[in-house]
Amino acid sequence: MNRPGPAPDCAHCPARPELAQMGIGWGRYDYLVALAGNPNTGKSSLFNALTGLKQHVGNWPGKTVTRAEGGFLYNGRRFKVVDLPGTYSLLSASPEEEVARNFLLFGRPDCTVVVADATAIERNLNLVLQILEITDKVVVCVNLIDEAKRKGLEVDVRGLARDLGVPAVATVARTKQGVSELVRTIAGVVTGQIRTQPLRPAYPPELETAIDELAPLVEQAVPGIPNARWIAYRILDGDHRIRQALLSGELAELVRAQREAPESHSRLLAIEGRQ
Amino acid sequence: MSDPVESARAVLERADQLRSRLAAEFRDRRVEALYAEAERIARRVVRAQGQRARDWDAHIDRLVTSPIFGLPLMLLLIAATFWITIVGANYPSERIAALLFGLEERAVAAFQWLGAPWWLTGFLWNGVYRGLAWVVSVMLPPMAIFFPMFTILEDLGYLPRVAFNLDWLFRKAGAHGKQALTMAMGFGCNAAGVIAARIIDSPRERLIAILTNNFVPCNGRYPTLIMLATVFVAAQFPPAFASFAAAGAVVAVVLLGVAVTLAVSWTLSRTVLRGEASAFTLELPPYRRPSILRILYTSLIDRTVFVLLRAMATAAPAGALIWLLGNVHWGGQSLARHGANFLHPLGHAIGLDGVVLLAYLIAIPANEIVVPTMLMMYLGAGMMTEVSGFDEIRRVLVDQNGWTLLTAVNLMLFSLLHNPCGTTILTIWKETRSLRWTAVGALLPLGLAFLVTFAVATAVRLIG
Amino acid sequence: MSPSTPAAIGLELLLLGAAGALGAWALCRGWRQRRQDRQRALAEDVLKHIFTAREEGRQADAKAIAGRLAMAASKVSAMLARMEAQGLVRSDGDALRLTPEGEQRALHVVRAHRLWETYLAHQARLPTAQLHKPAEKEEHRLTPAQVEELEARLGHPARDPHGDPIPSASGHVVAQEIRALAEWPAGERAEIVHVEDEPETVFRGLADQGLHAGQVVRITARRPEAVTFTDGERQYELTPLEAAQIQVAAVSAESADCAGLVRLSQLRIGEEAEVRRLDPQLQGLTRRRLLDLGLTPGARVTAVLSNAFGDPRAFRVRGTTVALRNDQAALVWVRPYAEPDHQAEASQR
Repeated sequence: MNRPGPAPDCAHCPARPELAQMGIGWGRYDYLVALAGNPNTGKSSLFNALTGLKQHVGNWPGKTVTRAEGGFLYNGRRFKVVDLPGTYSLLSASPEEEVARNFLLFGRPDCTVVVADATAIERNLNLVLQILEITDKVVVCVNLIDEAKRKGLEVDVRGLARDLGVPAVATVARTKQGVSELVRTIAGVVTGQIRTQPLRPAYPPELETAIDELAPLVEQAVPGIPNARWIAYRILDGDHRIRQALLSGELAELVRAQREAPESHSRLLAIEGRQ
Repeated sequence: MSDPVESARAVLERADQLRSRLAAEFRDRRVEALYAEAERIARRVVRAQGQRARDWDAHIDRLVTSPIFGLPLMLLLIAATFWITIVGANYPSERIAALLFGLEERAVAAFQWLGAPWWLTGFLWNGVYRGLAWVVSVMLPPMAIFFPMFTILEDLGYLPRVAFNLDWLFRKAGAHGKQALTMAMGFGCNAAGVIAARIIDSPRERLIAILTNNFVPCNGRYPTLIMLATVFVAAQFPPAFASFAAAGAVVAVVLLGVAVTLAVSWTLSRTVLRGEASAFTLELPPYRRPSILRILYTSLIDRTVFVLLRAMATAAPAGALIWLLGNVHWGGQSLARHGANFLHPLGHAIGLDGVVLLAYLIAIPANEIVVPTMLMMYLGAGMMTEVSGFDEIRRVLVDQNGWTLLTAVNLMLFSLLHNPCGTTILTIWKETRSLRWTAVGALLPLGLAFLVTFAVATAVRLIG
Repeated sequence: MSPSTPAAIGLELLLLGAAGALGAWALCRGWRQRRQDRQRALAEDVLKHIFTAREEGRQADAKAIAGRLAMAASKVSAMLARMEAQGLVRSDGDALRLTPEGEQRALHVVRAHRLWETYLAHQARLPTAQLHKPAEKEEHRLTPAQVEELEARLGHPARDPHGDPIPSASGHVVAQEIRALAEWPAGERAEIVHVEDEPETVFRGLADQGLHAGQVVRITARRPEAVTFTDGERQYELTPLEAAQIQVAAVSAESADCAGLVRLSQLRIGEEAEVRRLDPQLQGLTRRRLLDLGLTPGARVTAVLSNAFGDPRAFRVRGTTVALRNDQAALVWVRPYAEPDHQAEASQR
């Protein structure tokens, strides 16, 4: 079994990884990284720490109303970072949740970093679990561990990674503590050096039966789709965007593109959706 | 293989059937299941260790939202912020003005020595440069003091508490408590406030927040307010209390702005934007210690310099325009005089004068340059009076141009209420994609400004 | 050009005539368009009537339609003849039935109406008494694609604010056995599933008393001139005419254990409780938002803050502080930990 965990043995990582912050202003990149998370978890701080940009941080929910983009260079590879609007969930039809959900599905990030507030892990895990259903290329970033410590809370990050089946990294984005480990982990996930096996909690029984019935039909309609059960749930839920994507063949297109993507690809970002 | 569209249709149809068989609350069950899992994991990985440090957050929260102290504390914070700004900006403003205008004098002298034509010297130095000098000396110090303080409050996490304290009022006005957050952003820049309205889910309440954001004086306008408060209101008090009186006057104007916002929101939600208040859920994030470097960067580079550059970009051409208006003569009078005379009856009716209205016309692209424009027109081009500091401004306005307390008060009101600047109007259009609402957003404040100032002027004149 | 030459005069007349004709044509087209719209709306109203009559187990005939739409009998029969020719309805003796095509159209209009009412109630927060009229207009304007999108946005609600079922696009309805309030056995608890919105005056009276779908009630007395019942907080007394407007069903498992529950808004500052359920009145985005914030059954909440006006108040849940307005918190049912005397106190308040 591939045991996921933070920082795999770094035989072929250079001792001092060449990490450079790239700011904005480049269209071509090798990997696309999405930053998701609850509002007020320090997502913008982390974005700044990764990209060297100086987005304003603020401390009120909904502060990031526009999507910010930046990038960094690691081991000669260009990573583009997209800061998604902060959301509590991906289940409702509010505009910012739609933006985040559609980006995770249709924007095809190579890795999604879910920023979780160490002082309120329980609430943040709700979103983490939802994202694990859409994509398995996830790194959980347990941010604000300094604040948690002040409040007398200790988070067992290794245990969390084990439970979730994806790597987890503890950070204090403001002081850049743990950020280089996070970058290493992101690189490991996008290159496939770190294999993930995300936890997908069972649906409630009656829903489970409905999805059991619907998911094979989804797989039939879109052969090779990796997250058929999630798509099935979204259709049951009545997600208009996904219904449309299914009917128009966009989903099938997505699966094809995913499969044909070369090992290292340079591509231009083409994300549709609002904004 | 079967037709993909056909099989997609089959999926959707089956989904509809399955859904109608599920219990109505299946989505609730789903979230519950997720939270059950989250709880299970959290219990395993989170350990509460040792003695909890004192929970300062809870204590501070109880104080700042307290039924008794919450609102007064908020007022005190606003007042203190303005007081520090006024006291702190006074001296630097004078120094910067003295420096910059001294430079102007020397540059003019140098140009004359070089034998440059008078119109070139005038256009460049008495026009463009003077416009810039005014903007920098009037705006830079208050902004460089106000923005860091405001950013500290924002980064601390105080703003959501303001929304919490005021939500009840907004609900009564048929609006959303998060409108308080958009208003707070409006203190920085109304365009930013309009964009921030995206945090409001209900389209109706969002539109209200957008249309009323103008009633918060933005950074481009409170230098005007601070100057007027210092020159007119503070002067009525003994020097020891002058700065407090000035801060009090600015706070009064801000409160008036809040009152107007609530009143207009109330009216809108009972007329064209009818509806009940929607849901309000707001997380009160834990307080965070702001990082000083970031505060300084955000407030000085992102905000102050950004705003100042924008103001300078409009001030330079405006300065040139004013110089031209003042120096191109037609029928024995300068164009500026003609314009001011033409606008004077209207200006007089609302307790102002033609020059002020002309200044507002010129300053539509950016409100920041109203005061400099006004002063430059009052001073005229040829005059070499060195105006630095508030005492001289007072002399120019009161002794030479007949300003009274009424003029000052009405200018403060006009500045608070009148139409948003060009950038904000453009932002309203971008956010609403509706010419109609953009027009409302621009004309409603303008109409209100004329109405209120006219009423005040008439009332004062009737009373005598 | 000088108008003196006959050719020029002729050209001008021609142009003028053409302009006039164009104007008249446009006017005529506009008028015809409006007339067509009106006709279509009327036909859709007839289809809707037949559809709802079947839902309620009544027979639909020309007379009922004439009464319902306030039209002359002759006009109605002419219209029905036209609709029959179009293949929308067929008559079966006196009774009218929908053809598959008519069924499709009727389904669309009914869905449009009920979803629009739901939208107005949940998103625009219009009071229940003001939903019907705008929906009567909008139902003829929405396209099937718009209706589907609206449905998705609202989260596929099973019932509209009056309690009428909203069928799915393929016509499926969430089944539930429904009876009139007056027929429900006394002493047994029932959940209000429908409050009839016509006639409007009666409905307004009921709405003003605070009666709404989702309320759980128990009949305490039944006399020929009045029905008395309680929802645990208030006593209601209705005339048989009024009571006939209300339909009830067995209490769903969801609403079953109400005993010992108080509203979240009733918690005193510092008091702790466990979330039991969200009131059915809480729907759409608001309901989901509360769930997403962690207010799921079993969650522990503590009332922590109240502002100068006592509204909104803030609660501690799952390690975060969340502010809610009282009217929303009132729709979250919780069971306070310990402190048995709380209930008595809460009902006194």
